[in-house]
Amino acid sequence: MAAYLIRRTIYGLFTVLGVLLLLFVLFFAVTDPDDIARKAVGERARPEVYALWKKNHGYDRPLLLNRAYAAADSRRYSDTLLFDHYRRMLTFDFGNSDADDSAIARRLKEGMGPSLSLTVPLFALGLVVSVLLALFVAFFRETYIDRAVLVLCMLTMSIASLLYIIGGQYLIGMLLKWFPISGFAFDPYLAGRFLALPVLVGVVAGIGADVRLYRTIFVEESNRDYVRTARAKGCGEARVMLAHVLRNALIPILSNIVITIPFLFTGALLLESFFGIPGLGSLTVEAIQGNDFSTLRTMVYLGALLFIAGQILTDVSYALADPRVRLT
Amino acid sequence: MKLALVRLTSIKAIAVALALAGCSNNPYPAGDRARKILYSSFSEAPKTLDPAVAYTTASHIVTGNVYDTLLEYHFLKRPYELMPALAESVPSAVPHPDGGVSYLFKIRDGILFHADPCFQLSQGDGRSRKVTAADFAFELARLADPTVNSPLAGSFAQVQGFAPFAERLAAMRQADPTFAALPAHEQYQRAGGIAGVIVRNERELEIVLSEAKPQMLYFFAMPFTTPVPWEAVAYYNGQRGREHFADHPVGTGPYRLAVYEKQYRMQLERNETWYGSQAGMPAAPGATFPREIDQQDIVSKQVDGDYAGRRLPFLDRINFVREREDIPRFNKFLQGYYDEGHIIKESFDAVVQNDALSPQMAARGMRLDKTVEPSIFYIGFNMDDPVVGTAAGERGRKLRQAMSLVIDAKAYLELFLNGRGVLAQTPLPPGIFGYDQTYKNPFRQLDLARAQKLLAEAGYRNGLDARTGAPLKLSFDTPNTTAQALLQYQFYVSAWRQLGLDVEINASTYNQFQAKVRRGAYQLFTWGWIADFPDPENFFFLLECGNAQSKSGGPNTANFCNGAFDRLYHEMKSLPNDVRRQGLIKSMLALTEQERPWIELFHNEEYALSHAWVINSKPMGLSYPTYKYMDVDPELRSRLQSEWNVPVRWPLYLALLAIVAVTIPAVRTFYRERQ
Repeated sequence: MAAYLIRRTIYGLFTVLGVLLLLFVLFFAVTDPDDIARKAVGERARPEVYALWKKNHGYDRPLLLNRAYAAADSRRYSDTLLFDHYRRMLTFDFGNSDADDSAIARRLKEGMGPSLSLTVPLFALGLVVSVLLALFVAFFRETYIDRAVLVLCMLTMSIASLLYIIGGQYLIGMLLKWFPISGFAFDPYLAGRFLALPVLVGVVAGIGADVRLYRTIFVEESNRDYVRTARAKGCGEARVMLAHVLRNALIPILSNIVITIPFLFTGALLLESFFGIPGLGSLTVEAIQGNDFSTLRTMVYLGALLFIAGQILTDVSYALADPRVRLT
Repeated sequence: MKLALVRLTSIKAIAVALALAGCSNNPYPAGDRARKILYSSFSEAPKTLDPAVAYTTASHIVTGNVYDTLLEYHFLKRPYELMPALAESVPSAVPHPDGGVSYLFKIRDGILFHADPCFQLSQGDGRSRKVTAADFAFELARLADPTVNSPLAGSFAQVQGFAPFAERLAAMRQADPTFAALPAHEQYQRAGGIAGVIVRNERELEIVLSEAKPQMLYFFAMPFTTPVPWEAVAYYNGQRGREHFADHPVGTGPYRLAVYEKQYRMQLERNETWYGSQAGMPAAPGATFPREIDQQDIVSKQVDGDYAGRRLPFLDRINFVREREDIPRFNKFLQGYYDEGHIIKESFDAVVQNDALSPQMAARGMRLDKTVEPSIFYIGFNMDDPVVGTAAGERGRKLRQAMSLVIDAKAYLELFLNGRGVLAQTPLPPGIFGYDQTYKNPFRQLDLARAQKLLAEAGYRNGLDARTGAPLKLSFDTPNTTAQALLQYQFYVSAWRQLGLDVEINASTYNQFQAKVRRGAYQLFTWGWIADFPDPENFFFLLECGNAQSKSGGPNTANFCNGAFDRLYHEMKSLPNDVRRQGLIKSMLALTEQERPWIELFHNEEYALSHAWVINSKPMGLSYPTYKYMDVDPELRSRLQSEWNVPVRWPLYLALLAIVAVTIPAVRTFYRERQ
């Protein structure tokens, strides 16, 4: 397994280098630094203010080759945007935000807590509810409950997530007045009050696809020979479903779960933005809206890293969960 | 199994019901209910709180409260009027023999900076210190400092020695890295300071201008010229775990920044050492509620007459919560959890009916405060263009006049802005000296027949270009490519189509548009301007030849160059608001009326909502926070919030009942079938 992990990590490294190249093309070669400067210092500033801002933020350097230095001078290549981009990203020196000069590393640190306080309960509750509901539906398969839940699942899958958010805020926050419409607090009691609605909305919005998937897995599993054998031996339905079917069905479910875990750190874009949660999701949305390219580059890069980590973790979890799987 | 499932469902139902029974939608701690706290929101996080740089409304809600200025605008008087704040009086211009003028500011005694650890650099005990004239001079030097990057540096060009100081500073930094590493105040001292900023003594500051510029006084009512302690800039340098000065303001204002988590919330706490709050300090205009209150303001409940003459401020805390999205912000305002709010497009018709609050909103005690911003939105012609510009002579003028006669700005406002705006007849908005409410621009009244006649006289009968026999083709350039913007441009194009003109919309990115502007490759464009200060000069300079985009890269994008206009402008700009100035403005407006470099559209109108418990909510109009005049009635707020936010629980019980009702027969049916 060690050899496999090393190989996958090396592949991952090449993928990261490729992602960085793509990021460079998108954020440096295609985007005009004047655009970034204008967004940062305002449209009414004079041209010399833009020039100074670009100088202070290193956007005044050439892309690939700095002809200000002699051919033999290594700075001809190192004092360029490309070299600096790779150096910063690979050493996790993300620098400062283009929008307000705040340290990106600090923003990441500050945003991770609020993001996790939303995504972890959302993930855990979503998983528990969807697995339980899928088990329930699989248990009552081919009954009106099964069909009703499937129709409901299809309905929930067909509705845009923005509608859940606005609808949830209006129905539960505005009309029924159960929870605050939006907001966040670091105080645990208040935080629970604020997070209840986004978690509820997130669970409902994401439940359809998961229940459909897990139900299929459970139904498929409950038709297998070992299930029939268990029933023939007189094993009760609850034991069949919970001890046998659920356990064996967990392996395909695992792949769906493990790949999600790393992304808990990057937060939920829309939920955070609409519910006023100061996490990494709203940081990303804000970076997109405010042309904060340095933050956006960092978030895309971290997303790529987490995706690669998620894939490796999924493979490892397969091997750990299923003794038949060998990682070579 | 059957029993277990039923039991589980019931237990879950009861648990959820119990959990919800203790729920509330109140987003604030219960302990704050009786306190004088104003709850508000912000959408964009401030980029910086450095008063030399901050230039947005998001920043001003903090800098405008934390930093005091030498002068301020009178809270209630319109047209706007300057009054003394940290200065003892509004200074008069003293003419100099060389054509320059000077202003002498006498600073009030006993003004203290907010207590802050940065003062350990000078005071040892790290508390606070008195403000001196040198603190104002320091901030003015920061405005000139090229590394501070102040967007307003250009506006101080008339201060003697301002630009040479900036050049000297830059040169010394480049020549000597040791000098560049010194704290800013030491660098400024060694560079000799700005010649025209003279610290006469601790309480006297003289500003010398190389030429008369009465508008300069307005800049002393902006946080750009606030006193800044050198200690704060030196201490908050982002090193050794300290914040940057841009995130840690140290001012003298009525409030100090207690919490600054800009992605999430900001809190301003009352400054107990503010000059207006100190016992024994004489009542100052900037620290006292005005006594001259317009009866109309009292009737409209924008101002409470009982506050006349009372010491400011009234609020203990101002709490800003970040709301990135309009809909939740507005809904929380309706629930009473924000004290003030703005109307969202989606709910406009429910909130405003017949240009007033809807009966439902009025029944809740809400108030609608309207303010016309000192702004102008217009369609501009590129006067350098051979077809629509000056070179086309009388033909071009008549073409512009004809095009102006068919633009229905009222319909535009109704269609795209819910009618929020005042139709513009001239570049000057209401509240600015020279604005005449009775004046009707003859070329801003809808008149298709006259427009067609003028077009024919211009040689474009029915919009046809006599040379080609085809409709006259014009280009309408825009830096906005959104669908909504294109729809808005289409509105204008449709109006000109009535004349037979073929106007093509050329949408491009902002940079491409700017490149076109630099090259002069444009004919028509739309633009808007919000004034920095309430003076006609701040509008007319947009039409002065020296500011023409093609000549100096200035803000006169229409490239309007008219000798007569410029002569009037230069005389007008250095005059006080008197009859002579009024006459000059009238002549300038008569010129723009005939020449039509712009088609004036509207002056933007802000609609702000506030609840019954908010007192003195009269808006200022300028980007100028008025929180120190505001107050709240926390008792009324708490009572109404409780009335408006009683949780509705029956749908929950109904849903749980439905789940149980569906599950039990399913379980029974299943087992019956199995058996």
